[in-house]
Amino acid sequence: MRKKLFIVFLLSMLFLQPQQSDAFSAQIIQRGAFGDDVIELQARLQYLGYYHGKIDGKFGYGTYWALREFQQAYGLSVDGIAGNTTKKKLVAQSDYNESFVKEQIAKGSQFTHYGGMPLEHQVKGGGTSASSGKNSSNSGKNNSSSGSMQLPANYTERDLQLMANAVFGEARGEPYEGQVAVAAVILNRLESPDFPNTISDIIFQPLAFTAVADGQIWLTPNERAKQAVLDAMNGWDPTENALYYFNPKTATSKWIWSRPQIKQIGQHIFCY
Amino acid sequence: MRNAVYLLGIVVLILAVYAYDVTVKQRSLERAVHANYTNELTNASEKLSLLHSSISKSMLFKDEKALHRELDTIWRVSNDMRNSVSRLPLHQDVANDWMRYLGRIGDEAKRSAASKDTSEWRKKMEAVNGNLHALTEEWTVATANYFQQDGDFRKWSKITSDEVGDSSFAKVSADLKSFNETDFPLTASESDYQKKRELQHLMDEPLTKAQALERLKTVFPLISDATMTVTKSRDDAPYPFYHIQFVRGSRIGYADITEKGGHILSFLLERPMKNTALSHEEIVQAAEKAMADAGFKDTVITEMRENHIAWHFVFTRKVDDALVYPDSIQVKIAKDSGEVLGINAMEYIQKETIKEQELNPIDWSAFFGEGVVIEDEKKIYTENDAYELRLCYEVIARLPNKQYETFRVVVDATTHEVIQIDTLS
Repeated sequence: MRKKLFIVFLLSMLFLQPQQSDAFSAQIIQRGAFGDDVIELQARLQYLGYYHGKIDGKFGYGTYWALREFQQAYGLSVDGIAGNTTKKKLVAQSDYNESFVKEQIAKGSQFTHYGGMPLEHQVKGGGTSASSGKNSSNSGKNNSSSGSMQLPANYTERDLQLMANAVFGEARGEPYEGQVAVAAVILNRLESPDFPNTISDIIFQPLAFTAVADGQIWLTPNERAKQAVLDAMNGWDPTENALYYFNPKTATSKWIWSRPQIKQIGQHIFCY
Repeated sequence: MRNAVYLLGIVVLILAVYAYDVTVKQRSLERAVHANYTNELTNASEKLSLLHSSISKSMLFKDEKALHRELDTIWRVSNDMRNSVSRLPLHQDVANDWMRYLGRIGDEAKRSAASKDTSEWRKKMEAVNGNLHALTEEWTVATANYFQQDGDFRKWSKITSDEVGDSSFAKVSADLKSFNETDFPLTASESDYQKKRELQHLMDEPLTKAQALERLKTVFPLISDATMTVTKSRDDAPYPFYHIQFVRGSRIGYADITEKGGHILSFLLERPMKNTALSHEEIVQAAEKAMADAGFKDTVITEMRENHIAWHFVFTRKVDDALVYPDSIQVKIAKDSGEVLGINAMEYIQKETIKEQELNPIDWSAFFGEGVVIEDEKKIYTENDAYELRLCYEVIARLPNKQYETFRVVVDATTHEVIQIDTLS
């Protein structure tokens, strides 16, 4: 009898476990959030037909509007924030094939996660793997969207990638500040009327960057270079508005020495 | 001996074939680059003639429609020529001066088309027309060498080694510098903007190096026992500041602090991150506390973005019920502990002077197309193309489609002119 009671107790404990353990983390998810919880949110909203955008782990306006529509349809408080009640309702109403979604993201595939349709028919293929496969933390869970980042408006993933290549090629041996500084110079040129109008045109302007001339721009950038670009895109400028920089040990141009200098970071003197 | 000679012969033959192959490939690449440069130079030269003639034509008309057609062409051609110039291997100084001059012509055409002030356009273009004529002639002389159709790539590669004063572009460069100053002097708003960027309005007492260090330690007590190196900005820097580099265990970073008043321009640190994350509420609290500790008490959160290791926030000064976007501060908070990883207050240091401006209501249902959903409407201050601070409406609007395409639309509160449209993802 005692043994039976113990088994009943164990079974009831099993069923009483909160559903969160196999679904969302305990975090409240709202606009600006990023990572695995957002991937699950987008996938579940898409399963129910509310979300039609890319499942990328970025809680932007597309996800926000879809979540509001879901909340409205299920009589929940319409605030565009996935709190406990909203998450429970979503989990109850939808399925989430985590391994399928994460596999497609890792492959860089074009895919959807609609309910009532075989998943194998929802992969459109294409894409090179954008994810580095590196795990990092988000909301207490491993992050599957490490290949991409949330950027300020007006910047694209392509800008980030190209600038990270330039920063890595130009300044990989420099301190972090020096890497942010190189990225900031590119962005300062974007604002200046003296330079081309796009990040690509600035980087590939003939004679502008030695990394382009010697091919080092095509090296694969590391996470540090990407973080440096992200900080520069978010407004940091250790150069205090510089438009040029040079290595005093290797610079041969008289002209660059004539530019008014601001400061030196690592091996580079920054000037305007 | 015979075998050695035989082997040597084979090695020489292989090297000769390899050298030939490399030379052929290099020559082929040179030809491709040469063709590309020649094409861009031809485009630039043709656009220059077209621009000159369009400016001349624009001076013929008083009629608004006829003038508008030419202004549109001028804006387009100046932009095209700018692109061609940016793709030529010109000396940086020459390319910069060209792009500035062409950009100013294009901006002026756009501004005149919007303002309908044709007299101002004619007044300015009289000088520009004459100067463009001179520039066209100088450009023809400077580039004649590159149109000789001799396929000599050395002419292009020589530009990289020559100083501009020794090159055929010396006169073009001198003319461009002079015309940039005489034809398009800075406007009052541009001059104010420049002064703000150069922190010329800072009137505080200068701090010593030791005082600057104390200031940093007060705002960021976590690094108060760090090893610090202080250097002063170079003499040519537009404003004097202290550059403090610090190391504390695995924390490495820097802070720039103005000499006048000890204002924090920017602070950034790097350290290894743990694989844990605080809740969103805790992160927001940490960011707000960091702002309060640093003495920035008149700001509110206007943007936040989570990424792998940190959250980036934007705090913006609020005056009455309007956000002053040019007075914003960026803050970076670690996800694992809520530690401040960075503050950037460069824009905030010299607060904008708010001028009185009329607020005219807008009927959004007449302003936006049918079905467009308006999520939010705020009053903000932002700079327009002419660097003037304007009171505006900021509207978050959504198209009625399945993709929920959402936009941030900024509309001047007095003139109802659209100042900016951003696509929000």
